[in-house]
Amino acid sequence: MRESQTIVIARNEEWRGAFATEPCEAAWASEAVFFIRTLSASGAGAAQSAHVQISPDGMNWCDEGEVIRLPGEPGVSFCRVTHFGGWLRLAGELSPGVSVRVIAYLALKE
Amino acid sequence: MPADLRAVLHHANPDLSRFDPLERILFFDDFDRGLQGWTALIGNYEHSLDSVLPEYRDLRPPMLSNLTAWDTGTAGSFSGTYTLKLATRPRAGGMAVAVKRTTYRHAGPIRLEAYFTFKPEAGELRLSETDVRAAGVLFDLQHGDRQPGDKLRVMPHIRYLNALDGQAAGRWQFKQKRSPLHAIGDEGKTRSHFHLSAEGWEDLPGGEQLLCYNEIATKQNWHYLRLDFDLASMSFLGLRCNDRSFDVSAARPMTMPAMANLWCMLNILFWVETDCDKRAFLYLDSVLLSAALPDELPDEPSA
Repeated sequence: MRESQTIVIARNEEWRGAFATEPCEAAWASEAVFFIRTLSASGAGAAQSAHVQISPDGMNWCDEGEVIRLPGEPGVSFCRVTHFGGWLRLAGELSPGVSVRVIAYLALKE
Repeated sequence: MPADLRAVLHHANPDLSRFDPLERILFFDDFDRGLQGWTALIGNYEHSLDSVLPEYRDLRPPMLSNLTAWDTGTAGSFSGTYTLKLATRPRAGGMAVAVKRTTYRHAGPIRLEAYFTFKPEAGELRLSETDVRAAGVLFDLQHGDRQPGDKLRVMPHIRYLNALDGQAAGRWQFKQKRSPLHAIGDEGKTRSHFHLSAEGWEDLPGGEQLLCYNEIATKQNWHYLRLDFDLASMSFLGLRCNDRSFDVSAARPMTMPAMANLWCMLNILFWVETDCDKRAFLYLDSVLLSAALPDELPDEPSA
């Protein structure tokens, strides 16, 4: 059976302005899915998103390429990542006046 | 099984020979085999996550790490590749917690052993030896529901205070003082207290110990920890770290009246605290919980 772990990287957290989730170690995994579940959102505006970042050391980050939508009303979104080395996180910047309250998950599988 | 035969079998196993378990191993967790029940700690809540006490809202969860450093690459763990890693946020006072939740069969001595190490995030080219505030372990225990006399919830807390407010400390502490209980929600079923608060820690007499921190932030040495506790008397029996055994006769656990839904609880909790605006990391290679179980368990409650 495969090893698996879902990490709750943000729980009932409000994101506004520039944000980044805490680094998650994932070297043991071969596939990752980020989920964002929006609990509530405020501030009208264009669709908001976060992007996946990877790192060799958990301290120096670069964009991996994947983007995940932040739902503007209660809902769930996801993105998939493979070949990510040992660390993963999400980063982004919300438009002025916009905030979302989220639960964010990283679902890892061997 | 004769004790000497048990010892021979035990020490013939290289995975077990580094431990000194009591007669019965309740669990032996090497994190190369996954999480094995260790999970994040969240405060209690009812109706909404907003009902979680503020101090409990962001205790960071465990992850599986292969100890990769920016300067030397991957080290792996004391045994194998993966460890259970706890990482705080980069904010002074921040904590990360892992808990395993079980119950107990017999109120007698239990022994917790672990191989651990702690370091700050290696973001500066400096020794950073006072950046990690503390690493600790606690049991969260409650009598069985048929316990004669006062039924209690008992929480022995032990931590190694590495540094506080930028000053090196290097000593073991316990906590007996309780934090206030708060009702959670409105159904009257749940209460919470933040027992990991900064207040109330007492120095263990004779508990000064210097650990091998090593000479740069990315070098880490593994340490051996052993904590002995008696579920019958609900008292400390012993504490050992590396070459030192400590007198725990002065150590006391927190006690409080038993709660409605925690009978026979045996939870084990590890945590790490950061002393500055930098992440602190605690790594567990392996954890072993053992007990002295009689050959036949009586049906009647223990006296």
